[in-house]
This record gives sequence, C-alpha cells and structure tokens, in this order.
Amino acid sequence: MQFPEGLIFRVLFFVMLYVIGLIGFAGVTAAQDHPVAPVARVVVPASPATQPIPPSTQPAAGETGADQKKPDPNLAPLPLKLPKPAFKGTPQHVPPGVVNLEKPRSGPRPEFLAPKGTKNVAAGKPVTSSDNDPIIGSVKLVTDGDKEASEGSYVELGPGVQYVQIDLKDRYRIYAIVVWHYHMNARIYHDVVVQVADDADFLTNVHTLFNNDHDNSAGLGLGRDKQYWETYEGRLIDGQGTVARYVRLYSNGSTTDDQNHYVEVEVYGLPAK
Amino acid sequence: MKPYWQLAALVALVAAGGLALRLPRLSQRPMHGDEAVHTVKFDTLWTTGKYVYDPQEYHGPVLYYATLPAMWLSGTRSYAKTSETTFRVVPVAFGVGLILLLPLLADGLGRGAVLSAAVLIALSPALVFYSRYYIQETLLAFFTLAAIAAGWRYARRRRAGWAVLAGISIGLMHATKETCLIAFACLAAALALTSALRRYERTTVERASEPASGQSASHDRPASASRRHSVPIVAGALAAVLVSVLFYSSFGQNPRGPWDSLRSYATYFDRAAGHGLHDHPWYYYWHLLLAWRERPGPWWSEAFIAILAALGLIVVATGRHGASSPGLIRFLALYAVLMAVAYSAIPYKTPWCLLQFWPPLILLAGLGAASLLRWVRSRPLQILIGLALFAATAHLGWQAWRSTDWRRYGYRNPYVYAHPLTDVVRLAGWVERLAQVHPDGHLMLVKVIAPDPWPLPWHLRRLERVGYWETPPADAEAPIVIASNDVEPAVQAALRGQYEAYAYGLRPDVMLWLRVDSALWRAYVEVEDRNRHEP
Repeated sequence: MQFPEGLIFRVLFFVMLYVIGLIGFAGVTAAQDHPVAPVARVVVPASPATQPIPPSTQPAAGETGADQKKPDPNLAPLPLKLPKPAFKGTPQHVPPGVVNLEKPRSGPRPEFLAPKGTKNVAAGKPVTSSDNDPIIGSVKLVTDGDKEASEGSYVELGPGVQYVQIDLKDRYRIYAIVVWHYHMNARIYHDVVVQVADDADFLTNVHTLFNNDHDNSAGLGLGRDKQYWETYEGRLIDGQGTVARYVRLYSNGSTTDDQNHYVEVEVYGLPAK
Repeated sequence: MKPYWQLAALVALVAAGGLALRLPRLSQRPMHGDEAVHTVKFDTLWTTGKYVYDPQEYHGPVLYYATLPAMWLSGTRSYAKTSETTFRVVPVAFGVGLILLLPLLADGLGRGAVLSAAVLIALSPALVFYSRYYIQETLLAFFTLAAIAAGWRYARRRRAGWAVLAGISIGLMHATKETCLIAFACLAAALALTSALRRYERTTVERASEPASGQSASHDRPASASRRHSVPIVAGALAAVLVSVLFYSSFGQNPRGPWDSLRSYATYFDRAAGHGLHDHPWYYYWHLLLAWRERPGPWWSEAFIAILAALGLIVVATGRHGASSPGLIRFLALYAVLMAVAYSAIPYKTPWCLLQFWPPLILLAGLGAASLLRWVRSRPLQILIGLALFAATAHLGWQAWRSTDWRRYGYRNPYVYAHPLTDVVRLAGWVERLAQVHPDGHLMLVKVIAPDPWPLPWHLRRLERVGYWETPPADAEAPIVIASNDVEPAVQAALRGQYEAYAYGLRPDVMLWLRVDSALWRAYVEVEDRNRHEP
C-alpha cells in the first residue's frame, strides 16, 4: 500500500503549528479584547434583613382530615393494609424546623376515619400515564394491590413532570387517596399534585386535593402543601368526600433520582348517588 | 482510488457516524462537579487571558485553551451565556479525532484492523460517553494516540517532521493531565521490550546462519546512522519540552507554571497510592466494562471488545497476524497490556481513567477481528462470523446510544459516577425566577454554604452575586441561602430571619436545603397568583 507520506505530514504539521500559534495568540490577547468584566464569585455578605419578619403564609398541612373530627358511629377506620417497611429509622441529617417539610413521624399514622363501607375502588381499575413508554414496569402495577418495596412492584416513568391517571369506571365519593411512590429508601418526591375530575381530560369538575409544588414547576399553580418523606405507610390524602370518576397524580422526580415512581395508588370511596 | 484513500474515506465515514452518536443531547445531562470546575477554570482563562497552574489540584491547561475556538465559533460573549454544549463539543471533537488518527497506523496494523478499530472506537459506549464529558481524558487519549502514530510514521520514514510531531503530541499530553506519566512509563517500557525482542530474534537468526556462511555479523550500527537518528529525536524532545513549557507558563505569563507542573507529582503520587474516596479494587474497571447492571436497569457490556482484544493478543503472541509490521503490533500489545495492568493496580480509580487503556486495547481488538475473518476459509463460516460480528457491533452501538440518553438511563449507566441530579437544574431555575421578583434582580445576594457545592457555581452562573462558604459565615442572612445537609444544623443556628425551606437533591446521597426569605417568597407567590389569574 502506497502511503501518501509527504502530503499527510505537511498538512498535519502545519495544522498543528497553526493551532498552537492560534491558541497561544488567543491566550495572550484574550484579556485585552474580552468584552465582559470578570464576575466576582465570592461576594461580601449583606447586612441582615431589616424588614419585620411576618408569620409564614404556608398553611399547616395535615395528613389526616376525618381523624380530627368527633367520634361518629357511622365512621370507621380505612381498611388499609400496609406493606412491609423497607428501611428503618427516620432519615438522617434532616434539619430541625424546616418549614416546608413534614417531620418524619415517630409512631404509626393515626387512623383515618371514613363512612362505613368505604373501600378501595381503584383496585384493578385501568391506569394511563403521561409517559407512554415507562422505563420500568407497566402502569398496571399502580392498581394491582402489590405495595411492597421490591423490584417488579413499581412503574418508573421518565424524568420531568409526569402523571398516572386512574379511571374508576364510575363516579365515587372519594374520602381518601393513598399513594406509595417508592419506599425502598428515604426520599422526597417533587411537585406531588393530586387532582380528581369527571372527565379523562380533566376539564370538568376538576378539584386539586393536594399540591406541594412550591415553585409552580409543574405549571398547575403554586402548592401550599408540604414536602414529605416517602415511607412504607404511603401518603394519605384527604379526599374531602369529593365526587369524581378520574384521579390523576403528578410528580416531578425526587431528591434521589430524576425519575417518577408509582408502587401503588388506592382510592377509598363509596359509589356516588 | 488508491487503497490508502479508500481506507481514509471509509474511516472518515466511520468518524462521521461517531460524531453523529456523540453530538445529540449534549445539554441533557446536568453538569458533573468536575465538569463545572473546568468551566470555571476556563472562564478564568477567558476573562484574564492567563492560566495559573495549581500543583495541588486541577489539571494542565490544554483543555481550557482548546475550548477557546469553540467559544469563538459559538459566538458566545460571556460565561453566563455559555451552555453545556459549548463546552462539551471540545471533547467530542477529540473523541472523533481519535478515529481519524487511525489511518496513520494502516501500514503497520493492516487496513482491516484499522477499519475494525475505527468502528469499535466510534461505538464503544465508554468512549462515546466520556467523549461528551468536559474533562481532560479524551484529550489525553487523543494526544497519546497521536504520539504513537507520529512515532510510528517516523519509524517508517525517518522524516524529522514526524519526530517533531510526536514530540509536540508528548508535550500536549504533559500539558493536558498529570496522569500522562503512566502513559510515558508504559510507552517507554513497551518500546524497550519491543526493541529487546527484536534484537533477540535478530541475534538468534544470525547465530543460526553463522555456521552456514562462516562469517560473523556486526551488531553495531554505523556511527553516521546513530547521528542521523539522534538529530530528529533531539528535535522531537525539544518540541515536547517547548510545548509543555508554553502551555504551563500560559505562553510566558506564568513563569512558575512549568516548575509547578513538576512539583505536582508529589501530590499525584500520594493520591495514586490510595488514601481516599476514589479507591477501588483492581477489577473495578473490568466490572464496568465487562458486565455491569444497576438493577432493575439493563445490562451493559463491552465484553465483545475485550474478547476481540484477547484474540488480538493471541494473534500477536503466535505471530499469525499477516500485518506488515510485527514491531508495531508487538509494541501496541505490550503498551495496551502494561497500561491495563498499571491502571488496574493503582488504587485511585475514577471510571473515566479507563479511557487511557481502552483505546489501545481496541486497536488490538481491531487486529483480532481482522485476523478472525482472514483465518476462516469456509464461506458459510465466514458469513456466520460476519453476522455475529455485525450483531455484536450493533449491540455496542445500541448501548452507546443509550449512554447518551440521560433522561431514560441516567444513573443506570456504568460510567456515571457521583453525578448530580437534575434537581440542581430545577433549583437554579427557581432561584433565577425568584431573582426576577427581587428588587436587585440578577444582583440578588445568594449564599451557598456547603463543603462541596459543585456543580452549583455552573448552574447559578447567571446570577452575579453568589458567595460560597464551607461553613456558615458570621452573617449568614441573605434572600436565598442554600445549604448542604452536612452543615445544615450550623446554618440553622446562624440564621435569625424567617425563611421558607425546601429540599432538593444534589447527588443521590447529598441533599440541599434551599431557604427563601419569607418576604421574597410572598412576593413570588403574589406574582405567580397574578400571572395565574390573568388571561
């Protein structure tokens, strides 16, 4: 094989010399013709805020609604079966007194009372999602009754704002929605928004039952609910007896990874009359 | 068309494919902490025109100088307006350049081996992934191969210019990253062993022929030949020193730089001995390369390349290579093996370091693939092997494509290491929106209190008054205070004002707490509510 030695050598040699010369020239002259003044990266700390400190506008979010009412013979605790805990203890290094994060509970969740006969009306119901091609699992896992923190129990949707939507197949009076995103380890999901509606497109009779999107990054409005740690107890959201057929749950990644996970969603209600 | 130009055209085609694989979605992945550090170092060079080498930390200046053309071409006028793509195209260019260097070795390796190696370099998931990383590794791999290729051309033709080019490449290696020393040692050892082997073979042949001819052969080279070689070699060495000195001295502006570049080895020898966070067992790289899975994600494997490289080694050992130069392939085999052993033995390991021994092993893999096809005589078997090679290559390409998809595969990729979450992008986005509400706008004061805040300086680059502390300053108050969870209790104690606080993930095991002054937060809420209710 005839190697075109001379030509290749000359080209490479002059290109290399040219590039080094160019880079050297640029390095020497960059300071003179750079249009932007250097940006100070470390700044002198400002004086403390002088404005009076108003009270927080964030409402105190309660995980239970009905449990705070007076005992009623028509009410009974939700027939909620919890999965096995996958990790023990409260998360480490949680700053004390952080305003918008619920403190990890030391004991079990207080019982949530709902009218007798209330049951999970989402079990086995069809689920759709904003991600047509989940990364792991399928959306069927959201209502299959398996709440364990194990491989094969959850669906993983892509990063960014994603939702799962359950069609209850009929109108129900909803007393509680319980969601387990992922409870293999302690994490906080962002922009958890739970809505119910009468139509699949969420145009009619839309109610927002929970919203902790503090920066409106999901575009559904600012949420006043607190961020919370995922645990084996799931997150119980007060349905306030809202009547609806469709339930939609949004999230936007977590503090541990960018994806969105759903192990199980249960919707506790009674048929609407 | 002459055979060489046919090969060059095919390699260019492969390089175009490699470029197509490396360019898309360059901004999708959040900046790694190390990448962010390099962008700030570049910014210093860009704004001051001077690079002051720090022998304790960071690396040589070539990456930053090589970024200048990318900035000019992009038309970007300030650091605040740069994007991930502007920086990451630099390693992409050198990653593709690695492929384009291969034809220089064609008359030593053989055309089939060169073409096979080009395809494997273009499609190796590790090389694709790190060609999109704004760090020094791809540049170092490129200059190392450039030094070998130029050295080989000099060995073939004895033109002084090639020796000078090899010298320039060696100088650039040194001015890129301190770990070039490992490559220098392995190159020297491989060269010495190859020469020793050749001398031994020559002596054996001559001894065998002595009784027949009755003459004794002289082993000494003529003095004039030695002189002929020494001049280009000295010129190459001078070129290496000159290039290194030019870069480390920031083209004469930092005279201490070259001396500091030598002093730095005390630090790096200590680090290599293993004392810290990045110490891993010897098989660490092989676990990543051969079979890796983050459950429940997919399997990743470049075992196909490793098998072909092993085949290449057998080819070299048995001499059944059919290549025109046994010297070059012996040298490459020795170099690849020595590099792989050295990098496996050093306790300090970061996954991108595998870029220094994986390309030479891929050259051997190319040799293995070409030899495999040549050995097989039966037509049906040739077709079968061809199909198997095609399928395995396609699988590599598919994995390489996956490695560029941060959204779907993120952390389930063997080459992702201590990578920040997209949460930092969200955090920075919200801080910028808060700044729009604050009376000071982008001059709003932000205090970041974290022992390791990277890559926040990159993501907050559009804000002009961001201060960084490892522990809370005397006055920690600010409209925005960002703290990592390890200093959070101290921050809590240092703050008197009222804040809204939110959790963000920096890395999977590190959380950040973003505090927004309550007054600012209320102003933000008002604006958001107003926007929401306006048609």
